[in-house]
Amino acid sequence: MQTILSIAIDAFAYGMALFIICIGLSLTMGLMRVVNLAHGAFAMIAGYIASYAARDLGLGYAIAIFLAIIGTVVISIPLERLLYRRIYGSPELTQVLMTIGITFCIIGITNYFFGPTLKTIPLPESLSQPVDLGIRTIAGHRLFVMACGVLVAVGLWYLIEKTDFGIKLRATVDNAAMADALGVRTPVIYAISFAIAIGLAALGGVVGAEFLPIEPYYALRYMVTFLVVVSVGGAGSIPGAVVACLLLGAIDTTGRYLMPEFGNFFFYAAVIAIVCVFPRGFFGRAQ
Amino acid sequence: MKVSRKLLGAAIGALLAGTVSSYADTIKVGIIGPFSGPFALQGKNFQAGVEAYMALNGKSVKGHDVEVIYRDLPAANPAQSRALAQELVVKDKVQYLGGVYFTPDAMAITPLLKQANVPLVIFNAATSAIMTQSPLVVRTSFTTAQTTTPLGKVAVDEGVKKVITIVSDYGPGVDAENAFKKAFEAAGGKVVEAIRMPMNTTDFSPIMQRVRDSGAEGLFAFLPSGPPTLGFAKAYSETGLKKAGIKFYAPGDLTQESDLPALGDAAEGLKTTFHYAVSHDSPENKKFVEAATKAIGSAEQLSFPSVGAYDGMHVIYKMIEATDGKQDAQKAVDAVKGLSWTSPRGPVSIDAETRHITENIYLREVAKGADGKTYNKEIQTFPNQKDPGLATQ
Amino acid sequence: MPSVGGRWLRDVIGVLLIVAAGLAGYWLFPDNLALLTRVIAVALLVLSLDLITGYCGVASLGQASLFGAGAYASGIACVNGVTEPLTLIAIGAVAGAMAGLLMGTIMLRAHGLAQLVLSIAIVQLFHEAANKASAYTGGSDGLSGLMVSPLFGMFEFDLWGRTAYLFGLALLVGVFIALKFIVSSPFGMLCRGIKQDPVRIRAMGAYVFPVLLKMFVISGAVAGTGGALAAISTQVVGLDSVSFELSANALVMLVLGGLGTLYGALVGTVIFMGFEHIVSAINPFHWMTMVGALLIAVVLVAPGGLSGLSERIFQSGKSMKGGRR
Repeated sequence: MQTILSIAIDAFAYGMALFIICIGLSLTMGLMRVVNLAHGAFAMIAGYIASYAARDLGLGYAIAIFLAIIGTVVISIPLERLLYRRIYGSPELTQVLMTIGITFCIIGITNYFFGPTLKTIPLPESLSQPVDLGIRTIAGHRLFVMACGVLVAVGLWYLIEKTDFGIKLRATVDNAAMADALGVRTPVIYAISFAIAIGLAALGGVVGAEFLPIEPYYALRYMVTFLVVVSVGGAGSIPGAVVACLLLGAIDTTGRYLMPEFGNFFFYAAVIAIVCVFPRGFFGRAQ
Repeated sequence: MKVSRKLLGAAIGALLAGTVSSYADTIKVGIIGPFSGPFALQGKNFQAGVEAYMALNGKSVKGHDVEVIYRDLPAANPAQSRALAQELVVKDKVQYLGGVYFTPDAMAITPLLKQANVPLVIFNAATSAIMTQSPLVVRTSFTTAQTTTPLGKVAVDEGVKKVITIVSDYGPGVDAENAFKKAFEAAGGKVVEAIRMPMNTTDFSPIMQRVRDSGAEGLFAFLPSGPPTLGFAKAYSETGLKKAGIKFYAPGDLTQESDLPALGDAAEGLKTTFHYAVSHDSPENKKFVEAATKAIGSAEQLSFPSVGAYDGMHVIYKMIEATDGKQDAQKAVDAVKGLSWTSPRGPVSIDAETRHITENIYLREVAKGADGKTYNKEIQTFPNQKDPGLATQ
Repeated sequence: MPSVGGRWLRDVIGVLLIVAAGLAGYWLFPDNLALLTRVIAVALLVLSLDLITGYCGVASLGQASLFGAGAYASGIACVNGVTEPLTLIAIGAVAGAMAGLLMGTIMLRAHGLAQLVLSIAIVQLFHEAANKASAYTGGSDGLSGLMVSPLFGMFEFDLWGRTAYLFGLALLVGVFIALKFIVSSPFGMLCRGIKQDPVRIRAMGAYVFPVLLKMFVISGAVAGTGGALAAISTQVVGLDSVSFELSANALVMLVLGGLGTLYGALVGTVIFMGFEHIVSAINPFHWMTMVGALLIAVVLVAPGGLSGLSERIFQSGKSMKGGRR
């Protein structure tokens, strides 16, 4: 029983780290209908900024996170204006290719500036202590990640369901032309949503750096994972993303515990099974 | 008159012979290593070792200039490895092949050595079986079996009777697991569980949970050096295993000097066995570290692949000397069988039968130096260790 | 609309050009034949991808599963005693076809993004399976030391790779001609129709699933042939032949050259791998940036890839001349 609880805690922590990164992608894909394979690249950029700020400049962890989010969003703005705007509404293959191209460029440039080695983000004293939960000891940082994940989920839900912006966003998603005709400034909505999505990716990249280490190939290596998670949960759905992250996180963690030799096998087998049964993901919208 | 003409002829002949043999030709050496990607630092170390050797011993051997050609192989990719080796031999016309970080890459090159008439001097790839693939392979690094075996007895001596082994699921990992189990059980210990995890694992918490569940008193681990070892060592201390008193044993790949800064205090106290520590106290090592640090640029980045490359170049130079610059792979390899010298790591020799390097293995502990930085401190020496993996074959 | 006879002539000239280019490669780069043979093997992979993506509209980031299936099948056969090269190619093709059947059955259940994700999951599964079954596949060490007996008993597969290259070239031309026949057949037309409008095809009375599945099998056979060729010529089979990276690269090469023309697949492969060889040697990360920039450029400027671009140039050339179409 203790083992099951222990695995559950690990799975929850990993799932939450994935969630924070993937929810942004889910929103981009579901609400804006853009397959953004460069999502992981933005998380990576944030990780690099945070690492540089915390390690080389010696700033605090909280400031590093803040700088990382701001920095990544700022970098994403010109990309959105110049490149992403051209592919809204394009066929999926085109979006895939464009965003893969952006990812490759970001990897190359990152390596050029930061070198090929792994970058760590030094944690503050308070978070690096192991915390004794009675049943097991857990790295304090993992509790922090779980807390962040829950906050993000609740915050997003509130934003989309209860605020003015949320109403306009949902209207634009359901029928952009109509919303536009009714006076909703859709380009602004898109731009803000994109910024939120990238900001979340940035947050996830920084806090998830313990699970997903920051190095130039990060963008490509975990892109598959992010894409898969979003497809399983259903693009555009917050509950879907939560369920998918937790479920896949649990399958992956349990698989690694019970049969480490098989590694990713269970993860991908589960993905195939789920996608075959739910082709649009758990809570995906019918297109 | 006739006598003086003969003398004159002989003198001219001697002069001509002299000028012909002093005509400088270039011997090309092809080095294959990871110069980009996640293991780029290891490739950089290869280059530093090569350049350090050439800085201290000159760029020519017996009148033959040595030219080094580097080819990048970022990851274990047998097909690309073979393509690069083939290109080096056919197009660049190298006389010697060196380097190779990963085992699969070495395995892919061995079939073409005979036809190419080129020997391969391995600077790193650490699986025992490579040497049996071709008689033209010489290795100046180590094997995981070689560095791991002394650890078995060390664990038992420290009172640890039950150990769980955790290795990455690939050639050297399996070698390490087998070598440790053999040595540990021969000394009276018992391996309670053996876990093999995939190479790309980044989250080690479930594994650490398994460690706890197994009731072992210690764990033995092996992962490829670089990002994976960093995560593993951190997980060990973060999940409280270190505090719970579960001892950590691993070969030195896990505490290589270039990773120690990132590990920080979490690494303190970790015991590892390895063939080389940058802190090794000997005049040869002092000279080497100075030259290699100059070549690599930053003292923090210096690590064990550099000494493998350094000694590899030594072997290649001796081969060139023995064949006088002519391309004869078998003659070159025969010439270095049994060769012994004092390397920066300690006294070494090339075993005549296995063509693998015999060397001292050291037990080290990660300690804090006077400058506050952690380093590998040698606390025990196991002299003249051969490769036990090959001895059994 | 060019007449059928005109298109026939264009294809014959096309094939002759391919043969000529191949022979030119043989004479011009005698020291690089190993690389060129690998280019041919990958070209077969990209051709197979063109069949399902260019002609059937099924995007896939997992084509390397079929390539790898062929490579490992012929590699395992070779290690176990089957060393005749033509047999090995046949084994590779059959293995690829079976893998294609499996992959098609799974992938065709979904559409759009889900389909893409399935293709990724499948290639990763194949990768894990190949890694796990190390007793047969050598795992991450790879399957090495494949000793292939001389072709027709006479031509040895040596270090300089002459036999391998000419063998590969012959294979490529043969497969290409066969594929040209297939895509211009009624079957091929049906596939293109499905790509454009599956609903209409169904309304016509044709079944979509069996047709696409058949194309998957053919595609698998072609990819498997490429994999077997790679195994024979490099004498090594590694996990990279069944990797996501190879699949993604194949898609990039195809897009670069242009979808749906078969020629585009060849052009894209040659250019991509040629550049990779040159630029990668200088600095591999600059290579990534270059490919990324190239992809973005292709999407923005030349959605039809290079062959689309050249066609547009020809069209505009014709209309500028004001000549007959």
